[in-house]
Amino acid sequence: MIAGSVAFLIFALSLGLVFSEKINRFIAAAAGAGAMLVAGRVFGFYSEAQAVAAIDIQTIGLLLGMMILVALLEPTGFFQYIAVLAGRFSKGRPVRLLILFGAITTLVSMFLDNVTTVVLIAPVTILICEILGISPAPFLLSEALLSNIGGAGTLVGDPPNVLIASASGFSFNDFLTHSLPIILVVWFTTLGLLRYLFRAELKILPNNIEAVLSLNPAEALDDKVTARRVLTVLGGAVLLFFLQKPLSISPSFIATLAAAATLTWVRPDVHKTFQKIEWSVLGFFVALFVLVGGIEAAGVLEALAHWVAQLGNSNPLLLGVGMLWLVAGLSAIVDNIPITIAIIPVIQELGAAGLNVHPLWWALAFGAGLGGNGTIIGSTANVIVTSFSERTQTPITAALWNKRGLPVMLVSLLVVTILYLIAYPFYIG
Amino acid sequence: MKIKECMKRNVYSIGPGNSIREAAQVFAEKHIGSLPVIDFQGKLVGMLELREMIELVLPGFLNLIDDIDFVHSFGAIEKRLPSPEMLSRPVSSIMRPATSVDAESGLLRAASLLHKLQLHDLPVVDENNVLVGIASRVDIGTAIVAEWNTPQGGEA
Repeated sequence: MIAGSVAFLIFALSLGLVFSEKINRFIAAAAGAGAMLVAGRVFGFYSEAQAVAAIDIQTIGLLLGMMILVALLEPTGFFQYIAVLAGRFSKGRPVRLLILFGAITTLVSMFLDNVTTVVLIAPVTILICEILGISPAPFLLSEALLSNIGGAGTLVGDPPNVLIASASGFSFNDFLTHSLPIILVVWFTTLGLLRYLFRAELKILPNNIEAVLSLNPAEALDDKVTARRVLTVLGGAVLLFFLQKPLSISPSFIATLAAAATLTWVRPDVHKTFQKIEWSVLGFFVALFVLVGGIEAAGVLEALAHWVAQLGNSNPLLLGVGMLWLVAGLSAIVDNIPITIAIIPVIQELGAAGLNVHPLWWALAFGAGLGGNGTIIGSTANVIVTSFSERTQTPITAALWNKRGLPVMLVSLLVVTILYLIAYPFYIG
Repeated sequence: MKIKECMKRNVYSIGPGNSIREAAQVFAEKHIGSLPVIDFQGKLVGMLELREMIELVLPGFLNLIDDIDFVHSFGAIEKRLPSPEMLSRPVSSIMRPATSVDAESGLLRAASLLHKLQLHDLPVVDENNVLVGIASRVDIGTAIVAEWNTPQGGEA
């Protein structure tokens, strides 16, 4: 009992510190992990071996592998090339630009991290909008929303999905059959909604179209050879993702293999490549795993799961929908990664108690993936496009996000809820 | 050689409370690269370079994209003007703290300051921080290289 209270206190305090954003989230989580290890030793509920076992090496491996691939692809100018191509193809028409940039953002974020995606696409968006003489704000805001939506569609698109796949055993193809169809519907709904919400801004016909047509995509691509090599390996990796089940290999296996293959083929300055890896994100994951492992070992999550199981047994549908909206609401206010890491063991306990938890995994994935769209601080992608927009003459404000982003989040959750209820029998299987 | 021997003594300047619009007019009419900002006693309180003025209209993507060679036309940005609100702000809102030297400063010391701080002009002040002159990169640089061809300097 004391062990449980101490573990819960440490967990709550460090998560509070993470969410307060007073100090760096990795430092807050690392301090908590340290405290948890000491408490575990003193009260005898959490051993060092248990802490090491709590670190999900599958998740870390997949994230690291993908980060290495991005670190090699980004300096080649490939994304700039694609964005410039889209800009020319739009012929400077705002609605076309929104659809093209939206589609690219979603497609890229299905395979790469959402944050990476907007960091790559937003600068070129600002460039094209400024040349056209229109405000980049609607486009940047849409890109953040659509990257979060795209990320929810695949196993590798977003860290919560990586975590869920590793904990549930869902394969890459499981996400394509269970998540992607719903995400596609959400995508079209969102694009239509954005078209409506920004109808005034999108009506303006820019008169500097020749300037956009004078952009030269070939010049934007700085290193053709490296780009081709990384993309070839990335294509091979996607192929392996499809064959994950028959070959019985993990996503982490594929990503680290792809990273090793690309490093061998490109042979970059490894020091420079490693500078682009987000070590603080990886460290944050490790610290959170150790923290959550502690409250799990102390028996806190078991008690929570027992309580949830009673509700779940009486009304599993309500539990699924409740999970979806609860996780989405939390993700709109705070980081969805710690939320996902904390909820995963609860779902696992529910599974151990005999509940069919498959629908709950999907509810967690949709909630964590789409909830972040609700507020200006809901996801890192939102924060990034906002800070980029501050360099332009029309910065994105919290008020603008509440008027444009929040409706998108609510409507997309509503769409997901309806589809989730319809597909529920499918999710049970 | 001292900086007082190569500086210009007739200096255009502006007050910290003057507007950016007024500063723009002085820059354009006098065809100069920087304007010392002085208070009513003639004391130097800041420097305004063309760089700070131009930054008001530079495109936002400049710091986000490393290589902008592929942008052959700047389109709407070429015609961009600062907002009327921006133009009516005081000079003090965009000026930078002044780096100055006294009239007895050596030339190479002055050149080093310009080089280190990436400045184009160096204001010269007296012991009361009152502006007495200004020396540009060209004034200082040409005074330095002029000595290389005199009999005392170098091998010549």
